Amino acid sequence: MRTREQSRARYPDGGGYIERDGVRIAWERYGSGDRAILLMPTWEIVHSRMWKCQIPFLAGNFTVLTFDPRGNGRSDRPDTVSAYDRNQRTHDAIDVLNAAGVPRVTVVSWCGGGDDLALAVHHPDRVEAMVLIAPDLVVTETPNEERYEHMEDWRAFAQAFFADNFPEPHSTKQIEDAVGWAMETDAVVIQRGLDAAWDNEEPEVRELLRGVGCPVLVVQGSEDLIAGTARGSAVAAAIRNSALLEFEGSGHGPHLRDAVRFNLVLRDFIGTSEPRATRWTRARSRRKRALYVSSPIGLGHVRRDVAIADKLRELHPDLEVEWLAQHPVTTVLEARGERIHPASVQLVSESAHMQAESNEHELHCFQALRRMDEILVSNFMVFLDVVQAEQYDLWIGDEAWDVDYYLHENPELKTAAYVWLTDFVGYLPMADGGKHEEFLTADYNAEMIEHIARYPRVRDRAIFVGDPDDIVPGRFGPGLPAIRDWTEQHFNFVGYITGFDPDDSADRAALRDELGYASDEKVCLVTVGGSGVGTRLLQRVIESFEPAKQLVPDLRMIVIAGPRIDPAALSAPEGVEIRSYQHNLYRHLAACDLAIVQGGLATAMELTANQRPFIYFPLKHHFEQCIHVHHRLRRHKAGRRMDYDDASPETLAAAIDQEIGRTVDYRAVDPGGAARAASVIAELL
Amino acid sequence: MDRGGVSIRWESYGRGDPPVLFLPTWSIVHSRCWKHQIPDFARRHRVLTFDPRGNGGSGRPWDPAAYSEDQFAADALAVMDAAAVEQAVLVGLSLGAQRALILAGEHRNRVRGLVLIGPLLELDERPGAEREAATRFTNDVGLDEGWDRYNAHSWRRDYRGFVEFFFSQVFTEPHSTKQIEDCVGWGLETNAETLITAEVPGIGAARTVDLCARVRCPVLVVHGDEDAIVPHPIGMRAAELTRGRIVTFAGSGHCVQARDPVRFNLVLREFIVALPFTTERGGRW
Repeated sequence: MRTREQSRARYPDGGGYIERDGVRIAWERYGSGDRAILLMPTWEIVHSRMWKCQIPFLAGNFTVLTFDPRGNGRSDRPDTVSAYDRNQRTHDAIDVLNAAGVPRVTVVSWCGGGDDLALAVHHPDRVEAMVLIAPDLVVTETPNEERYEHMEDWRAFAQAFFADNFPEPHSTKQIEDAVGWAMETDAVVIQRGLDAAWDNEEPEVRELLRGVGCPVLVVQGSEDLIAGTARGSAVAAAIRNSALLEFEGSGHGPHLRDAVRFNLVLRDFIGTSEPRATRWTRARSRRKRALYVSSPIGLGHVRRDVAIADKLRELHPDLEVEWLAQHPVTTVLEARGERIHPASVQLVSESAHMQAESNEHELHCFQALRRMDEILVSNFMVFLDVVQAEQYDLWIGDEAWDVDYYLHENPELKTAAYVWLTDFVGYLPMADGGKHEEFLTADYNAEMIEHIARYPRVRDRAIFVGDPDDIVPGRFGPGLPAIRDWTEQHFNFVGYITGFDPDDSADRAALRDELGYASDEKVCLVTVGGSGVGTRLLQRVIESFEPAKQLVPDLRMIVIAGPRIDPAALSAPEGVEIRSYQHNLYRHLAACDLAIVQGGLATAMELTANQRPFIYFPLKHHFEQCIHVHHRLRRHKAGRRMDYDDASPETLAAAIDQEIGRTVDYRAVDPGGAARAASVIAELL
Repeated sequence: MDRGGVSIRWESYGRGDPPVLFLPTWSIVHSRCWKHQIPDFARRHRVLTFDPRGNGGSGRPWDPAAYSEDQFAADALAVMDAAAVEQAVLVGLSLGAQRALILAGEHRNRVRGLVLIGPLLELDERPGAEREAATRFTNDVGLDEGWDRYNAHSWRRDYRGFVEFFFSQVFTEPHSTKQIEDCVGWGLETNAETLITAEVPGIGAARTVDLCARVRCPVLVVHGDEDAIVPHPIGMRAAELTRGRIVTFAGSGHCVQARDPVRFNLVLREFIVALPFTTERGGRW
């Protein structure tokens, strides 16, 4: 059984299979730097995806090679015991180097059982240096060994084993990943591996350790329940040219659980070829600079972010704002001539990931965020490269999940004032997610609450884009604070920020005239904003056109595909207009007689601010749209919620008939939000 | 230490590999110009310094030949020998870059890494006002103003005035009173006649380029882009010729190790640690 692999932050640039004695080994190559790194397999209970947080980071500078072990991943599962001998693994590694045409590598291993050392000892010309994470070498006692003997219930075994691998609180994703990889093999294969020859008696191991001549870095967690906490120092002591780096509070797999720090350690040890020329500006000679990281999931954030940036520049005319941004946010920034940092191209697309996670009119947004972990690590490393190479006075992250999370996990990396913005607080379980989803969301919330409590200095300001009444009722989870109380204690409230001046569209008749909408037609705009998840909704609304036209004879339906949907993917009858990207969509929304939209906050609030009737369809399983946005719209008495599943062309046509051109009386949206946010931020400059 | 009748005072601080040798620069100052580096680097490394011929605790020979760049380079090797240091990271400032280059090019096995700060090297790039003035060093124009002060006659008339002017050009950054005052103090530990004797030709353009090509160790150039003594393009070229890296200090003048010691020390520390596979990487996180 194999669930769909989550989006990788980087896909291989090469690879293939090597074959020896009829056994096929799958290998991959990433990047093409002059220097090479071999990320070794470990016990075949997992496979090469265990390096997912290192690959994208290292591939920018190095040639990175991985291969799946015999018995898991895309490699064969031979049925003889001897095929799993240690010398086979070492031999596979050499074959992979040869197949990739790589003469010499730095070897990185996790819980290596001497197969890694054998490479360095027997092929010293191929191994430049080694990094051993929590080595499985019996120079000290292995704790808890007897706990891992019962494999009858393979899933239960894997669950228990990996829970011990990651004893750090809030490690659900790491455990879940590893269990998933374990489920790609089975207990029978694993037993063959356990029966194979690994010469793991202490005298043999010590002899191997003595034979290692290259520089070695040993990384050891102080809470390692698998290798034991004394292992790293004993191994380092037995190797001539070695250093020990201890991760205090870490378990057995710091490269997965503390990927950011591990990546930095690895890069420092290997040593990158630094850029030929770098620059440091004296403090007194610097201009005031802010780096703005705007969430790329949809277009809702960038509209308010540029409004805030404009107000901020009014308050600090000498301020230079740079953006670390990706598509579709860059479409808006480029149109405005904003400065986009060149490293932006290195960011991995979060929008594409969200699209890959979606299904018809459905996006399990909480799981999609969890399954974005390796993209978030990769993008954080890009952010870090930028802020370590250049000096900024201020970082602003609008739902920049990577920046906020990894700064709290690595608070020593904070070197500028930092402002966090969000329009919702709290991961919430969907009703059909059951106990497990309740547990997971509460665990994520608890981690966030702990982060803020332990490191209040990370967020210099936290801005809630909305009012206290916009916060959903209820708790973060069992035994956790009430969401509203906690948020009120930890955030500044600036009201909603639409990103436009309502006076712009005050004269609706003139606006309609300017946009080409006649006074005697009823204009229905259909849009999913900047999202790539929405083709099915657009298509369903299109199907309601004909019955709706029967009810509303002067109906004019305009469907806007947006920057991430190909208009050609939509089939429309005569009379429906399809547009691709619509510049200044908010003005069209202000002019229309009815809008039909997804449940995203930005578009719904633009319609609310402009007092337009609208029908919204929250994405299924999208807790933010289904709960947070819904709550806020109810507060404003705005919009009519419909469910995608129940919307037939006829029911939708009836709703269009009822809503179109209706006079509404929504709770007004205070237009001063951007200025208030800017004044809160400006205090830091 | 005595070398050919000239005493050279050297000092050793701390312990740890790789050793770092901070070379003397022009004899207008002495080894105290490394005062912000010594205590920091001595915590991890063996640090060696010595006073240049003509200032500090070293001798003040009266023969111009005693001040050739090769003499300074030989002093450095002799200090390393005396300290039983086989190989060191060399750090050279301004004129000290020439002697550092001799060592890195002609005694490669003694040099683990080479760091040049605002390197005063004869390359194709246009020299600074100081070098231009030096071409008229013995012509008495009778002026004690600006760069006309770079002149033997002017030094004899008003040495202190020259020293004060010179260091006002070294430290062009606002609020540099302490750095200027320090250097003027060290400048007054020697005198006009000594510096006039020490005013000998450098290693020349051809030899400079040749030495750059011979360097095999990692090279780092650190250079202020507002350096009023050695224009920044010279540092850029030096980095290029030695296949090294350059870190530009934007807004900085000639002596970044004195005016921006924290950043300079971090840059130097990083350079040393990044020498391939230094296993001093241990620690705790």
